[in-house]
Amino acid sequence: MRAAIARLRSAAWLGWQIDTNWADPFLFIVYSLLRPIATGLILAGMYWAVSSRVPARGMFTALYLGNAFHNFVTQVVIGMGWIVLEEREEYETLKYVFTSPLGLPMCLAGRSVVKLAIAMFGVVVVMAVGWFALHLTWDWREVRWPELSLALALGVVATVSVGFLVAGLGLLLPRPAIQINEGLAVALYLMCGVIFPIDLLPAWLQSIALALPFTLWYEALRRFLLGHGASARISHWSDATLLGALALSTLAFVAIGRLGYFALETRARRLGRLDQTTLF
Amino acid sequence: MNGRDLALDVRAMRARMYVRVVGSLCEPAWLIGDAVLPNLGMCAFVLLYRALGAPRSFETLAVLGGILSTYWINVLWGMGAQLYWEKQQGQLQLYFVAPCSRMAILTGMAVGGVLMTTLRSVIGIAVGIWIFHIRVAPVGLAELFGIFLVTMSALYALGMTFSSLFLLYGREAWHVCNALTEPMYFLSGMYFPIRALGALGAVAAAVIPLGLGVDAMRQALLGSGAHGLIPLRLEVVALAAFTMLFLWLARVSLAHLELLAKREGRLTQRWQ
Repeated sequence: MRAAIARLRSAAWLGWQIDTNWADPFLFIVYSLLRPIATGLILAGMYWAVSSRVPARGMFTALYLGNAFHNFVTQVVIGMGWIVLEEREEYETLKYVFTSPLGLPMCLAGRSVVKLAIAMFGVVVVMAVGWFALHLTWDWREVRWPELSLALALGVVATVSVGFLVAGLGLLLPRPAIQINEGLAVALYLMCGVIFPIDLLPAWLQSIALALPFTLWYEALRRFLLGHGASARISHWSDATLLGALALSTLAFVAIGRLGYFALETRARRLGRLDQTTLF
Repeated sequence: MNGRDLALDVRAMRARMYVRVVGSLCEPAWLIGDAVLPNLGMCAFVLLYRALGAPRSFETLAVLGGILSTYWINVLWGMGAQLYWEKQQGQLQLYFVAPCSRMAILTGMAVGGVLMTTLRSVIGIAVGIWIFHIRVAPVGLAELFGIFLVTMSALYALGMTFSSLFLLYGREAWHVCNALTEPMYFLSGMYFPIRALGALGAVAAAVIPLGLGVDAMRQALLGSGAHGLIPLRLEVVALAAFTMLFLWLARVSLAHLELLAKREGRLTQRWQ
């Protein structure tokens, strides 16, 4: 156990060095925050444009919150896909990571810790921008901390699990890896009702959206932080049902992520794709 | 420049354009990725307007923004970062030993980029018309084409300037491109009328051609429903001025930064 923690720490330190050594810390923080803040401001611009005709501040706050937490998916899920791509294509070091005592799964786990920390920082800053600059506020006394903490923890586990699956896909499919990473980011943005209630999706898409942990995660975070969600369909669910569904979906994705990653890695080894460079 | 040099540059331009068009067509995954993915984001923004109960004309704004965002992505990643990709592939030096002008190569890249992005944007137009049922005002095709042309000229001239800057960059190129995506969408009012930003929108439009281009295209297609920033004619003049300015800047900075990159030994430096 102690050895595993030491390896995780080494991988996290390595990840931090790789992710940040191209710039000084201040510049790195600015670059890391620009994208999530700007996405929040785009939503704010859209709201400002229509707010005089259709005041819907409560709904907008809920959607803004979903967008803030989607930073976890962008940073961690997509980031883990990019780790494989960078190691193989750009630095041509993937095979060395595989043969190192650390191993790729531990390297991915460690580096995901760094990405989780960066994502968390981004979420806090985006929420602060919302609170202070856009006046998207809520009543802190109404926040249900135990449920919120549980939902947050489940969402983080789901995020890392899906990240492993994306990394596995990157191992097996070198050429379309960029498209998979970028495609998944926008597909999840649409499918999980990040900035709109999933009720607006066609019925068949709603069923898929409800099976994804992120849809339930955003809805749970909204409910336990603001007191209300965005989706009318999920609003009928009790808190226990919502948390239960989130836990179930997360467990399913933990299993899919673990089994899927190792199956994809084995297949990639067999096909000789671990050091197959296609871009640079 | 004599006639022989001009002929060489035109041939170089055509050759680079050919590579861009054929290269894009040879990679179906990229084609699908570039054509479909930006439209998924666009769908999310349209549904946000729907969730807020906004008038239908705002959905049209978001659709147009989504379509034009594909051009901006191409300007950043296909123009600006292209020399960075070439450097990583180890073939940037070939650009510099070629006898033709670098501007000719960049122009070929830009023309090929516009052609391929226009082909991809058909998907966005189809999504807008058949899924979201957007409506646009009846407009003269020649006028619309003229505005489109001047907008693209300004954007791709800016892309040429970026590409010269990225000669010096290593991994920063990647991060700069990322930093110029969503923040530019916000400052340019890609998914909402730029007027909603007030004075900030006006200042942004004065320095970034994307905002003016988006606003001009919207005004041409939506008329008063576009909630335009300034009269369309003024925007077209400003875009033409931006084109001249960025072409000049690209030429000057390409020459200067090429020299600097050579002096600092960064032209062939990979994995920075």
